[in-house]
Amino acid sequence: MPGEPAKRTKREAYKDSLPTDGQNAAFPQKKFYRQRAHANPFSDHSLTYPKSPAEMDWAKYYPAYAVKTEDQDRQEKEKEAAVESHDQGQTSGAVVKGITQPVEIADIGCGFGGLLFALAPKFPDTLLLGMEIRMSVTEYVQEKVRALRVQNAATSGYQNVSCMRANTMKFLPNFFAKAQLSKIFLCFPDPHFKQRKHKARIVSYTLNSEYAYVLKPGGIVYTITDVEDLHRWMTGHFERHPSFERVGEEELEGDVCVEIMRSETEEGKKVERNKGLKFVACFRRIEDPPWP
Amino acid sequence: MAFPYQCIEACNRSRGGNHDWTLFGACGSRLVAQSSSGASSIWPTAENVDVKDDAPEDEPQERPGKRIKLSPSADAPSTSNFSCLVVSNDKQYLVAVTAEDKCIRVFQIDSNCQLHQLSQRCMAKRPCSITLTSDDSTILCADKFGDVYALPLIPSAEDNLNDTLAGGPSEQAAEKPYTPAASVLTVHSGRNRKVLEEQLKQASKGPKKIKEPLKFKHELLLGHVSMLTDIVYATINSRSYVITADRDEHIRVSRGLPQAHIIEGFCQGHEEFISKLCLTESGLLVSGGGDANLFIWNWQQYRLLEKVCIRDYVLRHYRAQPQLAALLPEDEGNFKTAVSGIWSVPNSQSKKDVILVACEGVPALFSFQLGDSSTSGEAIPLHGNVLDVTFVWPSQDACTAVVAVDNVHKPGSTTETHDDEGPSRLQYLSYQQDGTWGEDSIVGGILKWFNRRASAGNLDGRGEEFDTKTKARLDDEKAVRDILYGVENLRKRAGADD
Repeated sequence: MPGEPAKRTKREAYKDSLPTDGQNAAFPQKKFYRQRAHANPFSDHSLTYPKSPAEMDWAKYYPAYAVKTEDQDRQEKEKEAAVESHDQGQTSGAVVKGITQPVEIADIGCGFGGLLFALAPKFPDTLLLGMEIRMSVTEYVQEKVRALRVQNAATSGYQNVSCMRANTMKFLPNFFAKAQLSKIFLCFPDPHFKQRKHKARIVSYTLNSEYAYVLKPGGIVYTITDVEDLHRWMTGHFERHPSFERVGEEELEGDVCVEIMRSETEEGKKVERNKGLKFVACFRRIEDPPWP
Repeated sequence: MAFPYQCIEACNRSRGGNHDWTLFGACGSRLVAQSSSGASSIWPTAENVDVKDDAPEDEPQERPGKRIKLSPSADAPSTSNFSCLVVSNDKQYLVAVTAEDKCIRVFQIDSNCQLHQLSQRCMAKRPCSITLTSDDSTILCADKFGDVYALPLIPSAEDNLNDTLAGGPSEQAAEKPYTPAASVLTVHSGRNRKVLEEQLKQASKGPKKIKEPLKFKHELLLGHVSMLTDIVYATINSRSYVITADRDEHIRVSRGLPQAHIIEGFCQGHEEFISKLCLTESGLLVSGGGDANLFIWNWQQYRLLEKVCIRDYVLRHYRAQPQLAALLPEDEGNFKTAVSGIWSVPNSQSKKDVILVACEGVPALFSFQLGDSSTSGEAIPLHGNVLDVTFVWPSQDACTAVVAVDNVHKPGSTTETHDDEGPSRLQYLSYQQDGTWGEDSIVGGILKWFNRRASAGNLDGRGEEFDTKTKARLDDEKAVRDILYGVENLRKRAGADD
């Protein structure tokens, strides 16, 4: 495509111009990180992902929560022992490498991170993770996290939020153990209008089993979209799934997350400007029934 | 030269101390059967073939492996190649998958070794692996799209009635005017607006043809966002499980029916695709694929017990044989193995689990005795690449592995073919009490016809005709290769896209 090289050159020049000392407090400029809104979730992107949640290097993403060295030695030993007995899948608590508490809120398809940055101060004691399949967009959010941490160094703000590149449709159980999460956000997902692309949608009956797996009983999946058809699809697939129940309207109105999801996501703002509609639906993970 | 048996499956029956068995083999698009008593059959039968012969212009299309959409009618025999054979637990039925037409076929096995097709159900996506629930009521079909469907083995009249109803509403739906899912409210960019206008214009031209839904009972149980490669159904103390493996290194353990939507856990550790799962006699899970190691799991606790480096065993075997050593890459670090089969040896005598493992394009089987602390193995050299293995029990305490070997390609190669008549298509290995494997000439003697079948083909006087077709097939080397060797293709290519 004509114009591409110029764009790439500008982006490279911009990124080269960024200070590398990690103390840069300036926000990244979005225009250098834009990427087309669609990604193929079925392709073998050259992704990095841990073999299992136990092998995830979380300290890299949440340095303020990193386990101290003597603790680390102990944890390493424990980890070795855990590999011997390797029962991470069985226990519900997460065996997480390097940090003092597990991630509990995941924003799947976080885009430019608007929701994350609004939620982080509201949940100061909880770790939030944005997951995004597009590389440039992920870099933008990571840069912004870094800048916010520098700006808020005095209060240690935004240490509880981070972002990584991941294809969650394929690899969610590689990152999170059973019943680790309390909230999952699916905000303005790619609608994949064409019928033959429906399997690429982030919500489906079969994928909902994976969301149920990583969620604690009582945990909630938040969905929002401006596409009514997709809203009906998501609602239909969650309501059909026996592990979820719809959260009532009243409860939604009292939930700060719903308010933030409506107003703080980038797509949410865009829809606002265009005077579009926003459809919200939330689903609670219910306890598994006894074996038949 | 005969077409090799790409899959084989045995059915062992024991009646009052009498052991008899039947061997089924898929040879391209045909099924060959022979029992220990000598009875034999071929499906489709000659009468069925006549129907096909009325349309000789179809001939060029018959080459296997061609990617064409087939819509098989009930009476015309299939020209699709079999990719999977499973005998029901009650030994009454053979369930088979044909690859190109994505069809699941259920056959009744009669006492005379004949096969009667009861049903053929073509799935929307190609089935990669099938299994049956322990009560034989349900077929579980794992497909290329990552989904697992449950189908009744024998659809009841009620199911069929519901199917006709199921066809109804969707046809009505097709008549409903098309409205795009997007609207002027959701589309923000100029280019997308144009696309939307275009869609509305298309819609005004009339309803688009939509894909016809499947007209038989099939229930979606679970799904991965990755191609499924194997499925296992396990029952432990009244709890049943579905274990599925995919191309993205996952082994998922779900509850069995009717709670298959609940994921119990994952067996994590593979770094390459998984191609095969195998439950041993004692209930351990063995998995293998593109990794150098086989993984042995206590799968109920998602706990890795042991890794066995299958690649080292293969490498050692190659080094020891001059013809095979010549095939090794200069840098042995580049030598890769892809596990194409893992079989648990039915052996009630020993307390230890014994498995046989095959790797794609490797002319040997590897026998492992799974130990408490360490697993020991040995290579069993064969005269062709292993395609499939099944077990027959000639008597109470004897077990013989029937091995389908590739008689078309040279040992150790998946591309180079023999110039002359290749080796025998079957080899027979009997499991000795001391844990070694020896040639079994008795079973071999019984299966002489089965082994020669299609090259000699004198059963129904139509052998020659079969031969011309076989020859046409063999001439299309790539198509033959596609039927026999698909495992290494599962490996991800580095930096394919981004």
